Amino acid sequence: MAECVGVDSNTSGHSMDKSITLPPDEIFRNLENAKRFAIDIGGSLTKLAYYSTVQHKVAKVRSFDTTAKEAPNDKLYEISVQEEVTARLHFIKFENAYIETCLDFIKDHLVNTETKVIKATGGGAHKFKELIEKKLGLNVDKEDEMTCLIKGCNFVLKNIPHEAFVYARHADSEFRFQTANPDIFPYLLVNIGSGVSIVKVESEDQFERIGGSSIGGGTFWGLGALLTKTKRFDELLQLASKGQHTNVDMLVKDIYGGSYGCLGLTGDLIASSFGKSATADKEFSKEDMAKSLLHMISNDIGQLACLYAKLHNLSRVYFGGFFIRGHPVTMHTITYSINFFTKGEVQALFLRHEGYLGAIGAFLKGAEEDNPNQYSWGENYAGSSGLMSVSPDMNPMQRARSGTFPFDMLEMDRLERQLVNLPLLQDPSSYIPDTVDLTEDALARDYWLYCFEDALDGVVKRAVASQPDIPEAVVRAEKFRQKYRHKLLTLRHQPFAYGSLTVRSLLDTREHCLNEFNFPDPYSKIKQRENDMALKHYQRTVESLDALSWEDRQFALVSGVLAGNVFDWGAKAVSDVLESDPGFGFEQAKRQLEERPWLVDTYDQWLQRLKGPAHKCALFFVDNSGVDIILGVMPFVRELLSRGTEVVLASNSGPALNDVTNGELQILTERIAAMDPVLQAGLQEDRLTLVQSGSSSPCLDLSRLDKVLAMVVRERQTDLVIIEGMGRAIHTNYYATLSCESLKMAVIKNSWLADRLGGKLFSVVFKYEVPLGKVHHNGATLMLS
Amino acid sequence: MCLSKTVGHSMDKSITLPPDEIFRNLENAKRFAIDIGGSLTKLAYYSTVQHKVAKVRSFDTTAKEAPNDKLYEISVQEEVTARLHFIKFENAYIETCLDFIKDHLVNTETKVIKATGGGAHKFKELIEKKLGLNVDKEDEMTCLIKGCNFVLKNIPHEAFVYARHADSEFRFQTANPDIFPYLLVNIGSGVSIVKVESEDQFERIGGSSIGGGTFWGLGALLTKTKRFDELLQLASKGQHTNVDMLVKDIYGGSYGCLGLTGDLIASSFGKSATADKEFSKEDMAKSLLHMISNDIGQLACLYAKLHNLSRVYFGGFFIRGHPVTMHTITYSINFFTKGEVQALFLRHEGYLGAIGAFLKGAEEDNPNQYSWGENYAGSSGLMSVSPDMNPMQRARSGTFDMLEMDRLERQLVNLPLLQDPSSYIPDTVDLTEDALARDYWLYCFEDALDGVVKRAVASQPDIPEAVVRAEKFRQKYRHKLLTLRHQPL
Repeated sequence: MAECVGVDSNTSGHSMDKSITLPPDEIFRNLENAKRFAIDIGGSLTKLAYYSTVQHKVAKVRSFDTTAKEAPNDKLYEISVQEEVTARLHFIKFENAYIETCLDFIKDHLVNTETKVIKATGGGAHKFKELIEKKLGLNVDKEDEMTCLIKGCNFVLKNIPHEAFVYARHADSEFRFQTANPDIFPYLLVNIGSGVSIVKVESEDQFERIGGSSIGGGTFWGLGALLTKTKRFDELLQLASKGQHTNVDMLVKDIYGGSYGCLGLTGDLIASSFGKSATADKEFSKEDMAKSLLHMISNDIGQLACLYAKLHNLSRVYFGGFFIRGHPVTMHTITYSINFFTKGEVQALFLRHEGYLGAIGAFLKGAEEDNPNQYSWGENYAGSSGLMSVSPDMNPMQRARSGTFPFDMLEMDRLERQLVNLPLLQDPSSYIPDTVDLTEDALARDYWLYCFEDALDGVVKRAVASQPDIPEAVVRAEKFRQKYRHKLLTLRHQPFAYGSLTVRSLLDTREHCLNEFNFPDPYSKIKQRENDMALKHYQRTVESLDALSWEDRQFALVSGVLAGNVFDWGAKAVSDVLESDPGFGFEQAKRQLEERPWLVDTYDQWLQRLKGPAHKCALFFVDNSGVDIILGVMPFVRELLSRGTEVVLASNSGPALNDVTNGELQILTERIAAMDPVLQAGLQEDRLTLVQSGSSSPCLDLSRLDKVLAMVVRERQTDLVIIEGMGRAIHTNYYATLSCESLKMAVIKNSWLADRLGGKLFSVVFKYEVPLGKVHHNGATLMLS
Repeated sequence: MCLSKTVGHSMDKSITLPPDEIFRNLENAKRFAIDIGGSLTKLAYYSTVQHKVAKVRSFDTTAKEAPNDKLYEISVQEEVTARLHFIKFENAYIETCLDFIKDHLVNTETKVIKATGGGAHKFKELIEKKLGLNVDKEDEMTCLIKGCNFVLKNIPHEAFVYARHADSEFRFQTANPDIFPYLLVNIGSGVSIVKVESEDQFERIGGSSIGGGTFWGLGALLTKTKRFDELLQLASKGQHTNVDMLVKDIYGGSYGCLGLTGDLIASSFGKSATADKEFSKEDMAKSLLHMISNDIGQLACLYAKLHNLSRVYFGGFFIRGHPVTMHTITYSINFFTKGEVQALFLRHEGYLGAIGAFLKGAEEDNPNQYSWGENYAGSSGLMSVSPDMNPMQRARSGTFDMLEMDRLERQLVNLPLLQDPSSYIPDTVDLTEDALARDYWLYCFEDALDGVVKRAVASQPDIPEAVVRAEKFRQKYRHKLLTLRHQPL
């Protein structure tokens, strides 16, 4: 046991007294290891980017050296906590007013002295050049604004799932996030700053400004200021949101008395912006004029964007720039205009991290030698602020209230493995991992947010218990609780803060927060104990299965996987039982299972299929440690191997709850192989392979899987995908369609979800699917829902 | 041999209308059409004109009488030809005009007047009461397109390119017999962008709410100037760079790698967003004019490209007779298409609706089957109105403008042997572009006028009043020459 206390996690908090306004522990994190700075200074906001390394504790498992002379320990394997260094990108956005304070703070905390250069972009870059050089002692290296913008845009589109969204003001959910399409090119970026730039992006390095307009955000601001004497952009938007444009604009019906039918113009269409102020001799309200102006500009940009999109045959149009950024009013008018002009053929897309694009791009320019584009990156939910829902009414007040230093952050972790699509996805571009979008389903959202909050005490307790020898674990656990509770609270008010809110994102956010406070694997010892216990029953389980007739055995194998899947510490109904009754066993679990017919039951078709020829290769996404993997999954795998089917076992790269990790599974498989000739042979003949999924989530995103896994799947001509467990087969992938046969098995361990699906606690989902039209070797075409 | 009847004989009934000049041939008028816009009314009617024509005839050589010593016989005959009349006047005169027409209308078969334009419903009752005709409303856009097709086909040199600083401001296009397809960008209060594919086929493919009404409306709010013409005058004196944010205001110079020059407008009114100062009316009007013209120009180019059209005509009150807007639109089109598309304007753009409405009513006469020619004697010319002169000129001009077109007895087509009919230009020297030659020929024709008058009188030795008519001819032609000296177009 080497669960040692590591060096104190180095947050930047230790000398906060030097700066009175910056919140400690929260901003400019990991500055000590920072290198490669970039800064994007806009008209009012500064965006700073830097690359840093983070030391994290990670739990590792290692087999005891069985060849050594020492008597083997009673434990199955050794768990150690090691320090691992991972790369992280930090992006911070703050108002230009704070730039000097921030530069001072950075100077004071910058340890790494190798950095000589800071990349700079944005209109304000030359204005602050001297200040930056003086304060930081770095050379300011200016980068082209548009190049940075595009580079940043490519980066977020590729690396942040749910980066892009559609805005629908009156829909159930204002923000509808788009699933990331791995093929992001070509697209149109309409950047609405003072003016408008319309840029066609064709590849990583190829873009062209194909059009533009002088009627942009500066025109709204400038004309608005002249017309209303209101000098602030936000206030102008507020005025606009209260106005009636029909008092100022001349509508089609004002000219023709109604619609102009034969030209297809409805009566309410604006015929002439400000047409009424040409002749009417009266005063117009500020609100009405601002609204008319907003419509005029939004419609114009919308039409231009549509025309350029059509002319260049582009269907993806992203809007950005300060005119759009965080302003639901303008997102609405632009969306409306695009819908009007394309009759719904083109959707206006917005970006969650649009404000960071320039900084990200400038950073990437500077980091080119590190090849950041060769890695996969993931948004760190613990370290990132969410998308702010700022209604124009709330915005200025919120800002004022939000304290001394309003800032916004984005942190992205470099993933150790490059992630790609599962090659067996039927249609990668339409694949959506999550079954329920909680941003759109208010009832489900309320339940799950409650559920996660309710479970928080237990998670904190478990976290503390996992580090019994470390007294300050209690303090860290408490910090974790605060952070996660705060995230849940934010999500309650802004469900769209991190893209679509899903059970998966709630689970992942919890994992990110636990990691942030150095609880890398709270369940490591529970998993160890359960694996140990289960192993002892393996041989007996296999023997009793072997005694059954073929048909009985097939059913017993399925029941075994399902019963094993009951052992899930992530499900409160189960963790309560497991906490109170450590002796709760496999047989009891089997008795809990629902009788057939199950809630979803295509077992007969599966059995029929088994009577046919063996599959070439099965890819099995496994779930929990202990009984689940050892007594449920392994016998099932053994049967597949016996049939002549190759098996690829895919398990998590990093820990999540009591899910078995790849490291643990390696050891377990060796142990089982040692007592089971079938598995032994499978390993030796390379017919049983273990791969890591690339994920550390209790759920499964088939569009972000380890590259090696994808390669193995392709090489082995995998023709069956088995997905097990609630997180992987119900919260995610329930509707995923694959290009080969698939089997989704799970026990519903949550009564609310069971109720929703029309079942009850411990209802069984057994979903065997064959792609439409696929004919099997035995001649039968299986048409299954 | 009676006098050709002009309407002049009862001018005393109307004190404001100029005799001999306006509403000619009303006695024989039939098929009326009227297009009432925001400020101008356009009236159209069809009439017949009795003309003397000289005919020659061989003496009957088979006849018994001894042949005369002359080769052939000359006789003057009366011939009736068809003529289209179009008159444009300010809406303020509409009642006077209707009264005048009522008084002079002889033909009573006419029961209907075709009407179009935004003001048609407003004046419907007045028209019906005054003229006793039923007002039959026609779709505005259909009339506009019909009218446009008609002038493009029948009036050579109808379309022109505007170039403010060139030797000649107006460069007329040779009429291409194949006028379709084309794009018509009508800039009224708003903008309609119409693709015209054939005589009967057109589609409004786009439009914009940023049009003439926006210039007028925003201009009025910004400058407290309520008149459209005055706003244009203000604009022509302003400096838009004081109000607009240019590329160089942001980047210190050009934005080379995007190909944006420093003088390009990055943001219209961008300077008024943050600068805490007063802006001059002139500068704001100019900035507004650029903003709107550039926007329309870009939209027009995009629609032209999208529909693969190379001929783009601009019309509507924003353009009509205003060199300032013709210039900004032309500039914008040049900028956005890098010269690939030319902005075209029409000499008779203001009449399109009235012509179209008339044609709708005259469909049974098949006006489209004939060829028509502009009658220079009866038509006012295109006014060269610099923004400074315009309002004064208008006050002086009596506010009437006319177009008369004669139906030609024979349908006219291209010589089939022309190498390239679309580039064929009959005239060797374009005097609008050659000032020296123009001066010479104008002098030459004036100098020859006395001789022509003498010859005319001598040709009708038996008719005493020929002297009077010849004098009228002299006056009219001299006036035309004078006009052409000042307005060569």
